[in-house]
Amino acid sequence: MLVMILVPLLANLGTGIMNQLVTLFIYILLAQSWNIIGGYTGQINLGIAAFFGCSVMITHFMWVAGIPIIVSVLVASLSTIILAIIIGIPTLRLKGMYFAVGTLALAQAIQVIMQNIFNRSIQTRGDYVQAYNINWRYYLGLAIVVIVLVAVYFIRKSKLGIALVAIREDEQAAQVTGVNTFKYKVISLLISAFIAGLAGGVYAYFRLYFYYTSDIFGLTWTFSAIMAVVIGGAGTLLGPVFGSIFLVILGYIFSLTLGQANLIVFGFLFILVMLFMPQGLMGGVNLFRQWISTWSRKSHNETGENI
Amino acid sequence: MADAFQVLLIGVVVGALYGLVALGFGLIMRIMKFINIAQGSFIILGGFICYWLVTIWHFDPYLSIPIVMLAMFIVGLILYRLLFSPLLKYPQAEMRLDKSLLITFGVVWILDNLEILIWTPNSRSVIPSYGYGTINIFGASLSYTGIIGLGLAILAAAVLHIILTRTYFGKHVRAATEDAVAAGLSGVNVQRTYLISCGIAVALSGLAGTVIVTSYSVTPGGGMSWLLTAMVVVTLAGSDNMNFMIPAGIILGVIQSASTLFISPAYQQPIALIIFLIIILFRPQGLFSKRVRVH
Repeated sequence: MLVMILVPLLANLGTGIMNQLVTLFIYILLAQSWNIIGGYTGQINLGIAAFFGCSVMITHFMWVAGIPIIVSVLVASLSTIILAIIIGIPTLRLKGMYFAVGTLALAQAIQVIMQNIFNRSIQTRGDYVQAYNINWRYYLGLAIVVIVLVAVYFIRKSKLGIALVAIREDEQAAQVTGVNTFKYKVISLLISAFIAGLAGGVYAYFRLYFYYTSDIFGLTWTFSAIMAVVIGGAGTLLGPVFGSIFLVILGYIFSLTLGQANLIVFGFLFILVMLFMPQGLMGGVNLFRQWISTWSRKSHNETGENI
Repeated sequence: MADAFQVLLIGVVVGALYGLVALGFGLIMRIMKFINIAQGSFIILGGFICYWLVTIWHFDPYLSIPIVMLAMFIVGLILYRLLFSPLLKYPQAEMRLDKSLLITFGVVWILDNLEILIWTPNSRSVIPSYGYGTINIFGASLSYTGIIGLGLAILAAAVLHIILTRTYFGKHVRAATEDAVAAGLSGVNVQRTYLISCGIAVALSGLAGTVIVTSYSVTPGGGMSWLLTAMVVVTLAGSDNMNFMIPAGIILGVIQSASTLFISPAYQQPIALIIFLIIILFRPQGLFSKRVRVH
């Protein structure tokens, strides 16, 4: 933790690695956002990009208008909640594919609308470009990631978290035992949208230019978030973090060695993990821990018998 | 008046295509309770196969349909064997639905990027020599390709209906849809039934791709919007209602086409979203289903 804070002060890592680290923070935030709704609550959200992209746009324009970055990020993240309510309240009442379809349709619709409104690249004022310092982006990203991780930890421990997991395990049983499943699903979507909004805020602060508006609303963001969660382990606190680290490192290696084909590799990796390692990396860690404990118990028993 | 009729005609032609796209998607969803997000990418793949057949071997695009459909049928068999049959181990329908959604989302990712790699991100279309011809119906003009597309969509729906209701295989499919375990006990080979119906569904997307590449154009990554339209059509028709896919598609097509009279044609996608939200708010069982779905 202390190391993470001191890194940019003590060692000059160079812009390349710093950029990767800020990207990593954005991925972690997106992954945690998807983890809340997809991992804990078990509702498949295919529209993270809509929340992310709207927050990017709002943060960007507020910040360029002269409002402090922290205020802009918070306001933008809160405004994503409006989107979440519009899409969540009709679709979450029903079971089945409706939530996934609704969120996917929302992401596509907003992408189309934004593409038509902003058909040129979006730019920043010159003095903002001159004042650009990657360290501030790093600190903002790090602070938000730490706050979000702590918040997710406490959410999981609270009554809310228990209700969410109950909904994932068996919605009908949860309903019968007195959990208002619809209310909790909407709350979890709101939290998820807020975290995606924070990720968008960091991204808007990190990137000053947007050449194509469609890029920030693209399917890539949704896919990266889902991928990080699934590879790391859905429904765990640290799984999405490990998944994001894994993704950023692999993405860096593959984009250097494979060029254009690197994105395809991720698709195959994703499917393989889905089929053969449904618990993700955290599942592997748990298996290893179990194995260690049984092994140590066994060896303990053996020594006991010998004596 | 002539304007309105023209808009209606265009809506019907586009809508029949929506129905055709929804047919393949709805088939997998109805029979296996799997959601195939990759259906849109399969459509684009089918379109590109047709594009290759036309540009390299100089086929007529409509004569290439059997080849495209056969190729896509094989793709469907592979899809089922590799991705869907491992998911049958999950007992609950919801679990299967979520897992298949995620897995096919990975397939979308692979296919979209593969298509960009092979065919570049440009949009492609195939225009046969008679492609520019139009006929006049009461002052409104309609292209030959549009008419052929409409005919093919209705033909496909009719053939599918006959297969499902009149043949022995269709009986197996309906039995496996109602209760897979009971069907298996009474001697239906459920795995084989699923396998072949998955192949048929993907082959239908090949047909849709051919129609799209001749009347419109295909772009890598453009499958998502077709898929969303299919999902909205399935919601409109009611997901357990295979017979009404084409009518529901036509309703959506006419609404979208009529909306171009008032606002820019670029906003088709938001309109589909609004229709989707209205339907699930007020009539979640679909327009044509009589009974209320109990979940």
